[in-house]
Amino acid sequence: MQTFRAGFALPLEELRDEMDRLWTSLTAAPPLHGWGTERRTGVFPAVNMRDRDDAIVIEAELPGLDVGDIDINVTADEVVLKGTRPEAAGQPGDGSAAEASVTWLRRERGTGAFERRLSLPVAVDASRVEAQLIDGVLKVTCPKAPESQPHKVTVRTAS
Amino acid sequence: MNSSLTETGPEIAGQRTGDEPALTYQPHVDVCDTGSSLTIRADIPGASAESIDVAFEDGVLSVYAKVPARELPGRVLRQEYGIGDYRRSFRLGDGFDGAGITAEYRRGVLLIDVPRLGAVRPRKVEVRVATS
Repeated sequence: MQTFRAGFALPLEELRDEMDRLWTSLTAAPPLHGWGTERRTGVFPAVNMRDRDDAIVIEAELPGLDVGDIDINVTADEVVLKGTRPEAAGQPGDGSAAEASVTWLRRERGTGAFERRLSLPVAVDASRVEAQLIDGVLKVTCPKAPESQPHKVTVRTAS
Repeated sequence: MNSSLTETGPEIAGQRTGDEPALTYQPHVDVCDTGSSLTIRADIPGASAESIDVAFEDGVLSVYAKVPARELPGRVLRQEYGIGDYRRSFRLGDGFDGAGITAEYRRGVLLIDVPRLGAVRPRKVEVRVATS
């Protein structure tokens, strides 16, 4: 007489379900910070930051985002970039009817929500911050507060 | 329908390729097969529409985008990415209509549509309302 161990009654069905679960995760869009093997190492967006005499300048690559998708919050000593990179319209995952007939061949562009906090080395004037987004590149210029600007001291010679 | 897509050139996305005189990066891409065409989206922030080359020759689709140098003056506080041109190519195989390829660039993303030969494209037919 053949007996089955509990939990192994329907091995093929379990295997099929497991394969479905694996497949779902394989075809999902990667997270914005990547799967861990690429240059995207845990942070999104990657930024370049410079200390200029008059301002702190931050540049970030945010391809596919519109001005309305990005929130920029600046306090005296911190810049917070926040937003969501949505699925492109017409792509699988956007919930449209065309979705079912589409096959993914590559899926490397991450989607989802992001938040990046950058602390600033000097106080900036949050009311005069300017930001522009051109061709997927965001540039935020944070003018330094008057007390953080380099101050030139003139030396007088005692006569 | 079977889809085949082979990478030609270095394999790892988002990595610098070593054989270029200046810095060149492989853009991240999404490729999907809709049956009637392949749709390719590539992240190429910093490129401008005039400096993007999309070519299709012998079944190989290649994308090259020249990115003008943009210097950020000042003392470096963070340097998390490099700026350079983008290059990537794929062997698509046979059955694609090179003459029908369309490309569109918006907000740092390049969208390329490569139609299959003989594919029936959905066509919009205008309906006129007859008035009596």
